[in-house]
Amino acid sequence: MIIRVLDPTNEKRVAGGQLAVRRATLKGKTIGFISNGKEGTKGYFAQLDQQLREGFGVADVVWRTKSNFSAPADASIIDEIRAWQAVVAGVGD
Amino acid sequence: MQHSNRIAFTSKTYEVEDFAAAQELYHSNGWTDGLPVMPPTEGAVAACLEWALMPPDQLIGIEPVREQPITAEKLAINAVMAGCLPIHFPVVATAWQAMLKEEFLLHGVTSSTGGCAILVIINGPVRHEIGANSTFNALANSDRATAVIGRALRLALINLLDVRPGGIDRTTLGHPGKFSYCLAEDEEDTTWEPLSLVRGIPEGLSAVTVMAAMAPRQIMNEWTTDPREILETFAAEMRANQRHYSIYGGNYAIVIPKQLREPIQAAGWTKRDIAEFLYERARVRRGEWADVGKGAVVRDRGETIHTALESPDHLLIVAAGGPAGGFGAVIPPWFGNKTKAVTAAIGACFDCERS
Repeated sequence: MIIRVLDPTNEKRVAGGQLAVRRATLKGKTIGFISNGKEGTKGYFAQLDQQLREGFGVADVVWRTKSNFSAPADASIIDEIRAWQAVVAGVGD
Repeated sequence: MQHSNRIAFTSKTYEVEDFAAAQELYHSNGWTDGLPVMPPTEGAVAACLEWALMPPDQLIGIEPVREQPITAEKLAINAVMAGCLPIHFPVVATAWQAMLKEEFLLHGVTSSTGGCAILVIINGPVRHEIGANSTFNALANSDRATAVIGRALRLALINLLDVRPGGIDRTTLGHPGKFSYCLAEDEEDTTWEPLSLVRGIPEGLSAVTVMAAMAPRQIMNEWTTDPREILETFAAEMRANQRHYSIYGGNYAIVIPKQLREPIQAAGWTKRDIAEFLYERARVRRGEWADVGKGAVVRDRGETIHTALESPDHLLIVAAGGPAGGFGAVIPPWFGNKTKAVTAAIGACFDCERS
């Protein structure tokens, strides 16, 4: 006996955000770090900050921390992103 | 199949040869929690929607962070898969409406490495209509209704929001409540007000409360009838959770069985009295973290006091459990006050106050 069953997934899924245009070079650019606020991000970002400045000629690195590690970045941080040329986010524990 | 003639579904349909083939279709696509599912036929899904008086395109809500819409049709499909009967569906739909409230922080709750599950507490007349059992095994395999309602929430998370292990769900360990975590309050065998009434739902209405919850921590005290001593055991477990898991205050739930609640009730204690007692007793010094290997994060705040509850209002007290045994449970929050428990009346207009 043939059974007709229904698809349980969200077929009308809303598309997520798109990646920004990739930069050909980071030299002279301003890079933003958005930390989730967890302890483990400090050492990671410190090392990355150094590498970006010394190895890639980045002009400035701006550090920001979310007020809630499990929620999107605060509106004030989102507003600041306009002044940056690249962002490193999504770093976990 | 009589229902399908009247309801126009938008979901893609698949034809399978039999029940076993349906299992393979759903498992191979990653649409299950690993257990067998009921095939969601058009007739079964239509019956759920008709029982709840919902058209298939009714919007249950929108997930606030990823802005994903949840429709009645898709939710009903997942409910059928979980084993729900039509009579269970209004509870599932209301629980999802509550989960989608911004203060619940569904995205964080379901993606965190912390690995909580969504605890559902049912109050009101609907408990009897659906056959929920509030006594023996209240937090486990107590009955069909709570088993399938809790499971329906998880299957819908998996299929509608991609909350799959390794996908959106980044949980390190998780706990068994992620299969199903649902109980009903034993309102008849207590003098206390139902949880729903305590949380503002008018008397006599059915309601669900959802809470982002870690696994239950079971306590035992069968050697006293003094309310303070009984509740001190609950407080100690809350303090233990603060020391070993998370020190920060949030919604805690406690489940008090008949053997423990009878002496507390006989002494005239209300749920408010219990909440105020535990608010005072469940607190630790930050410096205690050094005793359990977490000295690195004490820093210069060793004397800071952290309460398990930000206020007595944040304690969810549930009367439930078998008639014998001095076993209670402390159910800690996922992580402090990042998420708030939400209570919603079943069958009520959820956002009417804004219209």
